[in-house]
Amino acid sequence: MTTGAQTVPAHDTVRAGSALPLALAARALAAACGQSWRSQFVFRASMWSGIVGAVLQVILVHLVWTAVYGSRESVAGVDQSVAITYAVLGVLATLVFQPFVFDTLYGRLRTGAIAFDVMRPVSAVPMALAQQLGSSLAQLPAAGCALVVGLALGAVDPPPTLASGVAFAVSITLGLVIAQIMNFTVGLVGFWTLEVGGAFLVYRMLAQFSSGALIPLWFMPGALRAVLGWLPFSAQIFVPISLYVDPDPGWHTVSAIGGQLLWIGLLIVLSALVWRRAIRRLVIFGG
Amino acid sequence: MIRAEHLVKAFSRPARVEGPLSSVRSLFSTRRVLTRAVDDVSLQIDDGEIVGYLGPNGAGKSTTIKMLTGILVPTAGNVEVEGIVPWKDRRANARNIGAVFGQRTQLWTDLPLRDSFELISRLYGLGREDYRRALDEFVDLLDMGPFMDTSVRSLSLGQRMRGDIVAAMLYRPPVLYLDEPTVGLDVVAKVRIREFIAQRNQDAGTTVLLTTHDIADIEQLAHRVVIIDEGRILYDGTLAQLRREYAPYREIVVRTREEPTLAHVGDIERTTTRPDGDDHLTAFRFDPERIPAPAAISRLSDALEVLDITSREPGVEDVIRRIYLSGSVGRDGR
Ligand SMILES: Nc1ncnc2c1ncn2[C@@H]1O[C@H](COP(=O)(O)OP(=O)(O)OP(=O)(O)O)[C@@H](O)[C@H]1O
Ligand SMILES: [Mg+2]
Repeated sequence: MTTGAQTVPAHDTVRAGSALPLALAARALAAACGQSWRSQFVFRASMWSGIVGAVLQVILVHLVWTAVYGSRESVAGVDQSVAITYAVLGVLATLVFQPFVFDTLYGRLRTGAIAFDVMRPVSAVPMALAQQLGSSLAQLPAAGCALVVGLALGAVDPPPTLASGVAFAVSITLGLVIAQIMNFTVGLVGFWTLEVGGAFLVYRMLAQFSSGALIPLWFMPGALRAVLGWLPFSAQIFVPISLYVDPDPGWHTVSAIGGQLLWIGLLIVLSALVWRRAIRRLVIFGG
Repeated sequence: MIRAEHLVKAFSRPARVEGPLSSVRSLFSTRRVLTRAVDDVSLQIDDGEIVGYLGPNGAGKSTTIKMLTGILVPTAGNVEVEGIVPWKDRRANARNIGAVFGQRTQLWTDLPLRDSFELISRLYGLGREDYRRALDEFVDLLDMGPFMDTSVRSLSLGQRMRGDIVAAMLYRPPVLYLDEPTVGLDVVAKVRIREFIAQRNQDAGTTVLLTTHDIADIEQLAHRVVIIDEGRILYDGTLAQLRREYAPYREIVVRTREEPTLAHVGDIERTTTRPDGDDHLTAFRFDPERIPAPAAISRLSDALEVLDITSREPGVEDVIRRIYLSGSVGRDGR
């Protein structure tokens, strides 16, 4: 997993000699990832309810958007089939990205388990990211089932061209990376104050709206759309899915992916800075 | 080796706002109060030592340990553990230390115990062979076989604590911090854990800093104790020295049919009497510097119609309670 390795704060790389060799660190991270994947399936019921929930969401989204379009072929220049494909993929991507789940680090901060994380030979940052990724990947079976249902219902169209499909695959991966880094960084707020429930809720609503997971940015008024386009949220979900439904990929596809890469670079720098301040503030309660 | 010099940790928290609308005003108040949880602590622990770190609740023990492990950054002072400054170089330090915080767990609660050990072995880059050998040995010593595949969430406290101890020692660190490793355990579990710690200390020369409120832990494991209160060290020295200095008396308990009437026998003072079945148990106290124990025993036997007689060491618990209560006994006691 490349995210982890890239987000290691600078001071960690300087002393790489004293820490784990890279190959071992990679294996450690894979183990951490696997651990959190397995944690998701501890209760068999949670797997089944996950699948049922995902399938239901796809069916509901399908119904709602079909009703919204009614007999119209196209709204705001967007075809019905495109809008429905977008909406279903949006639901699935949200499911896998688990955006706005900050539990990995914040939860450990609350329980004090963070104490052990900062005492490991692998830095807590890639560890937390690996665990986030693990629990994201654990949503894949549910998302896969829901996708099959979506295809069977005719709610999801295949990508119009091969290039659109390839661009989507690259872009959704980058979107996942962006989502993971942002969740991690926002979770760091917990280092300053443990009373973050309300702030997280507001962030979550804003982020969900701005990422285009609920309503594609195409349907938003021009000014709002421009602003949202400049925020990293749209790079998580709106960009990949609009590449998917794009019948005519070209330079704009490349530049959209370039934009995502740029966001990744910026966010890594930002989260490394925040992390470095956060860890110095670390206060462990009780005991 | 652990070395701490003039270690200080100050915490600040928002000051309490009193009066009308206090909860609203507290949102805007910027006043903070500073507490020094650890205040100028200097300490050196040599390789292979087991040191008991004692103090009443809130004395600053856990805070000290958190600084020694590198979890907390000291407000002032220097720390060095095995030649590494823990908070500056957390990851290199990680391999040298193991820690158990009895109140919380480092295990992954959703997974079977075995999986946590597996993950820890990966995190510390243990070879497969080393890992299996260490695990087999520890599981055997602590008799953990029956619950290795149980999820940590469903373990009993004592089982979980054994799991935590193994997790801290799997990679055989030279330094071990144990913060209340026996809290809430039954007698059998306590003894098992003490024996395990003693054995690791003997076999591998592991340096141990141990915090506990169970004095028996200290009596059985530590030669040296450090006592801290309000962030300051009150005593640092051997357990034997502590006994001699702060409990300069011995106790003799005598069983008699009738309740003794005399208040003392020479310099031997009567302290308490209580009925025990048909008999009475009476405690006497004397200064062994002035009266040798055999002489004291024979004098009591002469003075009373004795059914049984036993001599007791002064309880360390008593000694420590007195130090906690007075709070000011011989600073720099060493
Ligand atoms: N994060 C924190 N913020 C503010 N004050 C703290 C914090 N952690 C500890 N303290 C205070 O520092 C003092 C020392 O706490 P510490 O946990 O080190 O005590 P202790 O000796 O381990 O006590 P115990 O035997 O009860 O575990 C206490 O007064 C405590 O309230
Ligand atoms: Mg404590």
